[in-house]
Amino acid sequence: MFDYLLSLFGYRFFQYAIVGGSIAALTCALIGLFVILRKESMIGDGVAHISFGGIALGLFLGVNPLVMALVFSVIGVLLISYMRRRGLAQSDSAIAVMLAIGFSTGLIVISLAGGFNVELFSFLFGSILTISGFDLALIAFLGLSALLVVGVFYKELLSMTFDEEASRLMGIPVGLLSTVFNILVAVTVVLSIKVVGMILVVALLVLPGLTALQLDRPFRGTAIFSILVGVACVLSGVLVSALFDVATSGVIVFTLVAVFLFTAAYRRI
Amino acid sequence: MMEKAEPIIEVEDMTVSRSGEKVIEDANFSVYRGDFVGVVGPNGGGKTTLIKAILGVLPRDSGSIRLFGEDIDSFESWNKVAYVSQDAVNFDQSFPLSVRELVSLGRIRKDNIGRRLTSDDWGRVEAVLKFMGISDIADKRIGQLSGGQKQRVFVAKAVVREPQILFLDEPVAGVDPETQERFYMKLSNLNSQRGVTVIDVSHDLSAVFCRMSRVICVNREVNVAEITDEEKFASALKRVYGEHFHFVFHEHMCEGLFEDV
Repeated sequence: MFDYLLSLFGYRFFQYAIVGGSIAALTCALIGLFVILRKESMIGDGVAHISFGGIALGLFLGVNPLVMALVFSVIGVLLISYMRRRGLAQSDSAIAVMLAIGFSTGLIVISLAGGFNVELFSFLFGSILTISGFDLALIAFLGLSALLVVGVFYKELLSMTFDEEASRLMGIPVGLLSTVFNILVAVTVVLSIKVVGMILVVALLVLPGLTALQLDRPFRGTAIFSILVGVACVLSGVLVSALFDVATSGVIVFTLVAVFLFTAAYRRI
Repeated sequence: MMEKAEPIIEVEDMTVSRSGEKVIEDANFSVYRGDFVGVVGPNGGGKTTLIKAILGVLPRDSGSIRLFGEDIDSFESWNKVAYVSQDAVNFDQSFPLSVRELVSLGRIRKDNIGRRLTSDDWGRVEAVLKFMGISDIADKRIGQLSGGQKQRVFVAKAVVREPQILFLDEPVAGVDPETQERFYMKLSNLNSQRGVTVIDVSHDLSAVFCRMSRVICVNREVNVAEITDEEKFASALKRVYGEHFHFVFHEHMCEGLFEDV
């Protein structure tokens, strides 16, 4: 069994899966912690559904589906921000509206294309072992860009996550940074679609942070633990799924849920 | 030394409404550098509304506000200002922040956005933790603190900005008298030794009378009075609380309040 696992590391597709999965997990764990603390967990699910329209259109037009998903998701979060700012809809309602638009667009495009195809399934449910060289380059570029932005504006994001009004009175450009942060969420969701699929991406975004929050640590410690949980669960999910030949995204999310439940139970003992 | 000549807040003909009802009407007053001002008035009288309108958080129906000579609508000098809101302590108690992390956020300034805090910033954080007497709880999570400790932590976050003016909205509400006394001692030091102008919304009339130089009385109308003697202070209060109220000042009520603690 050990020899079999070691031999897998010799294959390029497996190397891509390990590297791509780790970058997605790291980005999701960090951005997801801010998302939880901003009480906006559903934006991850909303963006994933918005991206469905982009994926379908990309497959229909023969353009890279992840690139189209990124375009749809970024436009989607900008419209969500616009609706909130203009008072057209509350946060959850704005997400619901954009989710409906993105998903219905996808359904129309699929019906025009003559029905479902196998490739679409890989985006719906994830297909980490089919990450191509281009996908990996895109995931690495998007992930590192998102991490760089969070690294640069770490204290400002933390401040406005804790108290928006106080942050505004400190001269922090809260409106601009909120929009930037929502774009980061869109980027993070899209780069994770190949890893766990758009249906389960919210789990990769939320569960590592939620697990880390059980430990009652200060922010820095919570962020580090969130990242460790996310990366460890993705890597172990990939390995376990390869050993037992089961769906990788399912194992990854199942592992995340198990670690969360264990940590929550441990805290209460 | 107080330099009364320089107004740092100038409010002219300001009217503010909330939910269609006038809460502040036709307010005209100035606050000068070095002032230690108490804002008093009955519940619902408009004290918090007044502070939030001055800071531009709430829109006003009419009138103008100038902070440090700048119109509040285009105000940019937020480095000079610090504010502790009435709701500051009502944060999400599970939020993962230590006292030190929270206080350090007060060092965010317009000129260091997108940059890491420097060793000088961290040095000032440690100095303020010590000044506020909260060094021993610096690594504790803020959700684990008592009410009095939370108040001090949020004031520390404001003080670490090294502001020229400090707005406090009921900073010691619900805190025991001893903690209140220590807290006002710190505020007096900030005002007298560091020249910070302090505007403090308070229900504690004795604290206002004993420690502050001026009082802003708010009950829809806004009146400002110098606190020079009991008679003037009582007369100012009667204008907002009503003629049927009698304010009794004990001869020794301010004794001991300025002893170092």
